[in-house]
Amino acid sequence: MKKNTFYLIVGCIAIALVGLFWYSDVIRMPLLIEAGFIVAVAAIYLIRRRVTDLVEDERDVKITEQAVLRTMQVFWVVFCAFSIGAVMQLLRPPPIPRGFTMAPPPILPELLSPRLIGFVQLGLLCLMIFLYVGFRIYYAGIYGGWEKDEE
Amino acid sequence: MHDLTQENLAQVIGVNRQTILAIEKGKYVPSLDLAFRIARHFGVSLEEVFIYEDEEQAGRVQ
Repeated sequence: MKKNTFYLIVGCIAIALVGLFWYSDVIRMPLLIEAGFIVAVAAIYLIRRRVTDLVEDERDVKITEQAVLRTMQVFWVVFCAFSIGAVMQLLRPPPIPRGFTMAPPPILPELLSPRLIGFVQLGLLCLMIFLYVGFRIYYAGIYGGWEKDEE
Repeated sequence: MHDLTQENLAQVIGVNRQTILAIEKGKYVPSLDLAFRIARHFGVSLEEVFIYEDEEQAGRVQ
């Protein structure tokens, strides 16, 4: 299989996923899009193995390794910070005792409602994608990705 | 040398043309495996294709 055919198939899968997302929303069944997404990613990996003109050499592997490493170094900090905040919101831990007064504990404003957690997670996912692409471009530049050919 | 293009060499060695270009420019240091494959392709020893320069030496030359 040629590289362009592979990209075409990936585009078709992406369009099918959008349709599946819409349909799963119509029938109120989020499990459908979740399962569909996993199947789609697995299919893409399987189809990719059949591409004949896609050479991934050791330099590509090194660029990918470095980009993944740096992305994860940034991402886990942001993700942990968000997750700790989200867990605090969900568990609502009891307030620290403030002496023996009978006054009710102060009500803190809810910064992150449980309904918003999904959206924030999607935002974090987008951040990870942008970070990864940015680091890939950076390391491709370091390892001679943008050099001009002398031939 | 051997009247080869970067594209041809890349195909024979099994890497991308960009990798050959990056090695020529000194931007990427190949693994021992790739270095030996390149040297073997030209039928020469490793030292005839690659020169080891540590960072101090490279700095002094510049």
